[in-house]
Amino acid sequence: MKFSDLIRLVINNLNRRKARVGLTAIGVVIGTGAVVILVSLAIGLQMNANEQLYGIGDLSQIYVMPAYGGEMFIAGPGMGGGGGGGGGEVDQDIKLLTNDAVQELRSIPGVTAAIPRDYMYAMTFITYRKLQGYSGVYGVGTNDLADFGYEAQQGTTALTRSTVVIGYMVAQNFMDPNLRPGQEIPPPPDLYDQQIQMTLLKYDDQGNEIRKNYSLRVAGILAESGSEADFSMYLPLELVKSMNEWSSGTRINYNKTGYNEVIVRVENADKTLEVRDQIIAMGFQANTMLDFVQGINNFYSILQVVLGGVGAIALLVAAIGIANTMAMSILERTREIGLMKAVGATNRDVLSLFLGEAAGIGFIGGLGGALVGWLLGQMLNVVAVVYLAQQAASQGGIPPSVAVYTPLWLPIFVLAFSTFIGMLSGLYPALRAANMIPVMALKYE
Amino acid sequence: MTSPLIQVSGLKRHYEMGGTLVRALDGVDLEIAAHTFTVVMGPSGSGKSSLLYLLGGLDRPTAGEITVNGERLDQMDENALALFRRKTMGFIFQSFNLVASMSALENVAFPMQFAGVPPSQRNEKSKTLLGQVGLADRSHHKPSELSGGQQQRVAVARALVNDPMLIFADEPTGNLDSQSGVTVMQMLSDLHKSGRTVLVVTHDPRMTRFATNKIFLLDGKVVSEAEYQSATLEPLLGNVGG
Repeated sequence: MKFSDLIRLVINNLNRRKARVGLTAIGVVIGTGAVVILVSLAIGLQMNANEQLYGIGDLSQIYVMPAYGGEMFIAGPGMGGGGGGGGGEVDQDIKLLTNDAVQELRSIPGVTAAIPRDYMYAMTFITYRKLQGYSGVYGVGTNDLADFGYEAQQGTTALTRSTVVIGYMVAQNFMDPNLRPGQEIPPPPDLYDQQIQMTLLKYDDQGNEIRKNYSLRVAGILAESGSEADFSMYLPLELVKSMNEWSSGTRINYNKTGYNEVIVRVENADKTLEVRDQIIAMGFQANTMLDFVQGINNFYSILQVVLGGVGAIALLVAAIGIANTMAMSILERTREIGLMKAVGATNRDVLSLFLGEAAGIGFIGGLGGALVGWLLGQMLNVVAVVYLAQQAASQGGIPPSVAVYTPLWLPIFVLAFSTFIGMLSGLYPALRAANMIPVMALKYE
Repeated sequence: MTSPLIQVSGLKRHYEMGGTLVRALDGVDLEIAAHTFTVVMGPSGSGKSSLLYLLGGLDRPTAGEITVNGERLDQMDENALALFRRKTMGFIFQSFNLVASMSALENVAFPMQFAGVPPSQRNEKSKTLLGQVGLADRSHHKPSELSGGQQQRVAVARALVNDPMLIFADEPTGNLDSQSGVTVMQMLSDLHKSGRTVLVVTHDPRMTRFATNKIFLLDGKVVSEAEYQSATLEPLLGNVGG
């Protein structure tokens, strides 16, 4: 039998049992629709999480530290392994992040920048008028934060010895320490182009407090990036080095102690893991946000499978419905099967016809399910995005651009899968039909 | 001398029914020449329908050999049998076996779908055949909109679509009124006259008027006409005499 004739016969046969085919297909619509909407939700959540947690610029950054200790450990950016820049005892076997090492990092193909960074470990108070602020303070070995891919929302990203560039959320962390309970919290100050005071504190051998003040002008506020930069203050590395030297009372020679941390930027996020592996092979510890993103992605991949599995249960029920419908249909059409064989239909023709009908029910249901799932997803998306945007507005953070996302492959996959499931459900009844003895089928009452 | 179209030797068809062994056919030997009109007569349960289904390759024998047009049906697999039926045989059944959801035209064209005939040719040939059986104006009617005689004429047209050399008819007049029965008998006779070999299983004695060859079956065995008459008439005469 020609394929076109098979398709025509399948359509005619499905058409003559509209009600039953329709009811069976509704089961498939529910199953496939559930798969589409639940997997779309998981994909939307994953995209949302990626958007919320990580600025895309961070994915091309690698945080390099000396490989302290035998075992690698995962440390968040900024959590320096400790010790290096502080001038303490250094294990001779550990490869240090000296200037030569930084040059070595810069020479790796695909690396666009390798910038040393140190954090200020001196006891520090940051104040602006009556307000006290809390922030991580970093010294970076560059004159311009644009080298990290950061952009200024206000002012500049350039660094000088008398200015500071602060993250998007830093102003939120300036509070009045004298605020009384019940008193309304004032809005965060606009720090741009304002002078802030940085007071370093230490104690001499007699326990006397010694203070040193720095007055710095806020030359720029960084645009929100969703990364640690939102909560950080940036100064030139030499300034932070001199602050740490004052605090510890010792000179710091990075060529002897190495830098705490070097941030390596890669030209393209696709190369991040490859470069990371090369850096580890050089004997350093290297972490990237991509590891976290991959971890998150793995989690959401599992979530997609789990949610898809929940939908698949509904599809399984629908598959049993298809099998039942086909079994009933074959019982009712036993004499017709006998006739088909008498007029020259082969077992394969009969098998193809009934498999085609079962697959047809799966296809119709899959088409409906993909459409219904997509439409519901779109509706849910509108509602959820509005809700989440309100949440983001009141609690801070980046408003999501998507909550439920249906990629093109999903409805195509679901359609193919439901057709396959339909065919699979019809396999046993179709095999029974194909193997009927013609005379028994013709005499069936 | 040409060899017969159908040769059967030692043909047996036994099956179990309710724990009892039924010997539907029990050692049948026969030969049917080409271009004959053969009528197989026998009372209910004599095995005549079993014989037709075995000769048509719709059933498998318990033992024995069936040769049709030089091919051993008892040695063919299901696929080969289906292809052989498609090319060589046409079937007419007592209960017409039309597909209820299809029009007369579609029913006639149905076997050609499995033979891979293009739709335009199917349509043309089906229309011609429906015209030949006098149903040109009923081609778009569903079986439920046709009388029994008309349905059987559609079935006759369907049996002819693949130009078979052999026509098998199982009680073709069994569900028809006498006038429609005569029309169908005449059609079968015309098919024979056009050069086809026709084998009809019936217990309608009117059919013997058209036959060139008669086979009588009793209890799964071929018997002579005299034995058949004696066996079927004796009980009646005995009752009259008693």
